[in-house]
Amino acid sequence: MACFAAIGVFAGSGLYVARISNATSYLSDEPEACINCHIMKPYYASWQHSSHARVATCNDCHVPHESTFAKYAYKAKDGMRHSTIFTLRMEPQVLRATTEAQHVIQNNCMRCHGNLLSEVNGFRGHQPDRQCIECHRETPHGRTTSLSSTPNTLTPPLKKVGIGGFKNPENKENK
Amino acid sequence: MSSNEVPSKPKGSLTGWLILAGSALGVFALGLLGSTILERREEASIGRLTLKQPINQWESDSSKWGVSFPREYDTWKATLASNTETEFGGSIQKDYLAHDPRLVVLWAGYGFAKGYNSPRGHMHAVEDVNATPRINEKTPATCWTCKSPDVPRVMARDGVSQYYANKFSHYKEDIKNPIGCADCHNEKTMALQISRPALKEALERQGRDIAKITHQEMRSLVCAQCHVEYYFKGKKENYLTFPWDKGLTAEAMADYYKNSTHTDWVHSISGAKMIKMQHPDYEVFQQGIHAARGVSCADCHMPYKQEGGVKFTDHQVQSPLTNVANSCQVCHRWGEDKIKERVLGMQRKHQEMLIESENALVSLHLSIGEAKAKGATDEELAKPRELVSLAQMYWDYVSANNGMGFHAPQETARVLAKSISIANEGRLVLAGVRAKYGLPPTAPAVDISTKEKAQEYIKPYVKAQADKKAAEEKAAAEAAKT
Repeated sequence: MACFAAIGVFAGSGLYVARISNATSYLSDEPEACINCHIMKPYYASWQHSSHARVATCNDCHVPHESTFAKYAYKAKDGMRHSTIFTLRMEPQVLRATTEAQHVIQNNCMRCHGNLLSEVNGFRGHQPDRQCIECHRETPHGRTTSLSSTPNTLTPPLKKVGIGGFKNPENKENK
Repeated sequence: MSSNEVPSKPKGSLTGWLILAGSALGVFALGLLGSTILERREEASIGRLTLKQPINQWESDSSKWGVSFPREYDTWKATLASNTETEFGGSIQKDYLAHDPRLVVLWAGYGFAKGYNSPRGHMHAVEDVNATPRINEKTPATCWTCKSPDVPRVMARDGVSQYYANKFSHYKEDIKNPIGCADCHNEKTMALQISRPALKEALERQGRDIAKITHQEMRSLVCAQCHVEYYFKGKKENYLTFPWDKGLTAEAMADYYKNSTHTDWVHSISGAKMIKMQHPDYEVFQQGIHAARGVSCADCHMPYKQEGGVKFTDHQVQSPLTNVANSCQVCHRWGEDKIKERVLGMQRKHQEMLIESENALVSLHLSIGEAKAKGATDEELAKPRELVSLAQMYWDYVSANNGMGFHAPQETARVLAKSISIANEGRLVLAGVRAKYGLPPTAPAVDISTKEKAQEYIKPYVKAQADKKAAEEKAAAEAAKT
């Protein structure tokens, strides 16, 4: 009995946390999922105003696309890291891609622009051992990036999570 | 129920307790996670703070501003910490004279030869100006100008010219608060503003309309109220003036001083009329790549920071080398080590050139001094003195900088090259004069390997100069009587 009650309480709280954290959105490829945390707003804003916004979402560049398994395994791992740091308030002022993330990003540059590279390889400093972003560093997120680079940016609002959220038409529109 | 079944009872209740504790812990942890998520959601919607209580005009107590701006106030208070050290700078106070005793000889007869320490954070300004041995009963009030937000208030009360004409000691009771909010901000709108007349006057002489200056430029100009080259115009007036009328380069300033009658002091050993450059940080920075790209002082020395959903400026003004991540990496996408390596590389090369220039200057001062002692006339020594003065002004334009060679590396290298070449020209001209008196081209080197030895070495020269001046003043006073 007690056991069932405990599991029930646990499951209920789990559901609640899943709701307020907008957990299901993380399964999608929607860029809005990334700004569940306001930390990502400057990066969302700079992406939204970049050339890539028309053709690529956050996930197109920031998660691997070799297989569905690789994609979700990476998402889970990276998500754990992000949420841990965010919860403990350990985020730096200027986010920098980890070595692993740089590798993922580079592979994704090549996934779309590989043909282009085969034509220019060796020309004007294009070398296979360099990362695209070493030179094209302003392409994805602009010249300056930090948590405070776009403080008052307009981004889609967070979904309402209280009782009102269940029947709030805005939530549907956001989706 | 038999007595055999009794032992199983505590076992069952232990499991119960474990489930209770486990689920309590689990729910607690989940609740905690839930509330941080809600807190963070809340942060995203926090806007900018407004004034919680009005701030008076000339409010020099920064804690009154801190009521409405706790983040800015807290980071400003962090300038009290003297705990950072970079290879050439940082907030830990260093004795520059002990670090490089050549300076004692270069400033023989001037206050800087007595004591010259590296600067500390803004909150130490009043404490440190009171502690320096360069302050005495003759010091004008002008020396307070950059130390305290109390200054604009007493300037408004006494009149700007009268303030400069007063003595330093006159304001000991009025000036208590270290550099703070009111030095740069409007008390009503928090907009950046220039509170010191010297910068306003210099900009106006250049024909600039202060009302048209952008916010981004103001983020450098508020620093330029103090972190610049300046002098006290007029022996009695001591009117704080920036020598910017011809431009901000070393040459433009040398040209400016050439056309004025101003000299800071006469060198005790060489007898050259000298100009001491203060800290032309703003002027030198204007000639570097960062200024050319529109970067302001505050962008690197007071980088933006995000706390929760609030963006604010970090008011702990400090060396960006102690804060590479927030300062440099906003634009430069390299690792921290690589960035530091680049900056220190520039600063080390810069240091080498500075020492080359200092060696040439020390040798020239000593050689002129020796020729004078052997009987060379003022007329014969006029040209070498003019050259040593100019070469040292160029060196000081670079040396007095707190950027330690980073702000405009090519420009400072160019100016140091000029300093060395002018000092060598002086040496050549002087060699002819020295030959006439049977002296070799340069004076022998002296032992100035420590601050104490260097101060001991210049002592007789400084004393002789002071005695001569006192005798002259006495004679003049007697002549006036009769």
